Amino acid sequence: MAFYTLGLTFNLVIFLTVIVLAVWIYGIYFNFKKWGLGSTGYHDQLRNSFWLFLATWIHEAFKDGLWVFLRTVVLDVLLLRRTLARSPVRWVMHMSMFYGFLALAALSGLGLMLDIIEHFNLVGLAHEAEAVKEMLALPFDIFGYLLLIGATIAVSRRIFLKFVRDNSSAYDAFLIGAVFLITVTGFYAEWMRGNSFLVGNAFEYPIYAPHFALIHTVLAIGLFALVLPWSKYIHVIATPMTLLGNRGGE
Amino acid sequence: MADQKNSKPLLTGYMLSTQLMEIDGCNRCQECMKWCPTFAVRPDRPGITPMYKNARWRELMAKDHSLRAKIFGGKPLNEDEMKAFTEDVYYCTTCGVCGTVCEAGIMTVDLWEAMRPNLVDRGNGPYGKQAFFPKLVKADRNPYQAKQEDRLCWVPKDAKVDESGEIVYFAGCTAAYRQQALGVATVRILNKLNVDFAMLGKDEWCCASAMVRTGQREVMAEHAVHNVDALKDAGAKTVLFACAGCIRNSTVDWPRWYEGYIPYKNVPLSVFLRENIRKGEVEYKIPLNYTVTYHDPCHNGRHLMHEIGKDWAFEASRDCLRSIPGVKFKDMVRNRDLQRCCGAGGGVKAGIPDLALDMAKARVKDGEEVQADIISSTCPFCRRNIMDGRNDAKSSIKVLDVVELMAASMGLDTTIPENPYTKFQEQDVLVCGPTTCKVETVERKEPGKDLVGEAH
Repeated sequence: MAFYTLGLTFNLVIFLTVIVLAVWIYGIYFNFKKWGLGSTGYHDQLRNSFWLFLATWIHEAFKDGLWVFLRTVVLDVLLLRRTLARSPVRWVMHMSMFYGFLALAALSGLGLMLDIIEHFNLVGLAHEAEAVKEMLALPFDIFGYLLLIGATIAVSRRIFLKFVRDNSSAYDAFLIGAVFLITVTGFYAEWMRGNSFLVGNAFEYPIYAPHFALIHTVLAIGLFALVLPWSKYIHVIATPMTLLGNRGGE
Repeated sequence: MADQKNSKPLLTGYMLSTQLMEIDGCNRCQECMKWCPTFAVRPDRPGITPMYKNARWRELMAKDHSLRAKIFGGKPLNEDEMKAFTEDVYYCTTCGVCGTVCEAGIMTVDLWEAMRPNLVDRGNGPYGKQAFFPKLVKADRNPYQAKQEDRLCWVPKDAKVDESGEIVYFAGCTAAYRQQALGVATVRILNKLNVDFAMLGKDEWCCASAMVRTGQREVMAEHAVHNVDALKDAGAKTVLFACAGCIRNSTVDWPRWYEGYIPYKNVPLSVFLRENIRKGEVEYKIPLNYTVTYHDPCHNGRHLMHEIGKDWAFEASRDCLRSIPGVKFKDMVRNRDLQRCCGAGGGVKAGIPDLALDMAKARVKDGEEVQADIISSTCPFCRRNIMDGRNDAKSSIKVLDVVELMAASMGLDTTIPENPYTKFQEQDVLVCGPTTCKVETVERKEPGKDLVGEAH
């Protein structure tokens, strides 16, 4: 099925992807440099350096040795132990969103790679690439539903729990709403293609499916790649780094 | 609106670069808000909670360090906003429960203590009477305007205290000048157990905890170096502390300021006493027929649990209390690492006394909920503040140190000798006969002398 629509060509998409990646990388550099405005030790002078931030973080993360670092990676970063200790519901929410988001991002990256192989028929694997892309539909669905569960819990908490609602800012609402919107548009784009997991052909509308898919892609890239380093989404990077830097925290 | 033209930038120098990262690591889960003891008594001020403080710091930093600032130039800080932010940062006892529950693993105590000196250097902090701390401590080496020569004026004549030795008891300013019953009980117990120990006397200077907590670090170096050197000169291998604030500073803060080797170990007195209880060396004579609960001080609980272990931080004092005959021990609902702060720490007692009082009343209510007769603790500052809360709430609950309960049950004479500071004493004490003990309150004869209240 045609994906490149509304005047977008394959080359243009690749070009835009490179631009987005460059902005993303610059954003991360920008944040690391901002964090570098702090000192490297309790009495140390300010150095204002990107590299010294990295050095300080590595020093802190490995202060108690490699074993503690690895334990923190598994228990705190991958299994979100601290969240589970406080709220099982929030743990389900975070785990769903975390793994849903990571898996979809990885699958999207893989999809793009397969697109490139298919487009240029690299090492004559165009057909195989197309076949693999077809196989990716199911994992895309599974992790999409996982993300949907997480996003739904997140939105519901902000709507139905008074304490959470009262202390939510417009910023929270925008960002959680955006995650929810991206997830839902992703599903709808998939359903419009027809023969979809769970819903079959109930929402089939193949003529407009590519257009809707494009809207979803633009939203996803725009928010996750362009907005992430410049907004509260930076916690996706900063929280695991904090957990590692503090060896799991208090 | 305050003049913004010559506004100084937000300073970041006292913060580690990883702490600036931690602020961005806050995922706004709101867990800290549920546990924050200051927010619990000031629910109309969400700005004082960690989540909001982090968000505000991010906004203030963004004025000079965002993409917008990079492209279009920075914006001056609004001084009214800075004033409000400073107030929020100082409306915090640095109790650290937010760090314990933080999903992102942010080390909040260190974070607040790093934010404050930046505000002090910028001219926004400290808050209220906290500004007197460095002046007082620098002049007198204690926050009570007392004479250093009087450090041991409360020690009973027949007590045996050496000038040097492997075990040193670091009493702290409050036990020396304001809660001498604690000092006397400690000395009596150590004598009874035939422990040879020394005290530093006039060479013991204030631990300077209040300075670090309130972001006024300039006095700290001098005091840390002096105290460590004095302990080394006394030949200390083990230093006993019956004050949570002092042991916190000695364990965490002094080593940051002392460049040489520190040869001694800091030990909470309750840990030392528990060892003696386990060896069967503590003999109790009088049962204390009271329901007793234990308030975990933040400073030797949450602040030290990773340094000395949870057993030392939380269980030793409970084990001491459980060993006393007649005592019915009951934990409050919020205990150990999730305990509710009494409200005295972080300079709040001196800077924002009404907040400290409301927090103390909340803790007294916690004690009443488990029908405790006595709230015990191992921190003179917690005790002072909880007593104030108790008095204000007109509660019948009593507040005593674990060591004093033990001394009373051991049948030791804990009479405080008459001294120049007798008139400043105000504490609950156990008055014991041959078979029973009764709690009484010693009332202060000369009120209003403490310029800054309690200093931690």
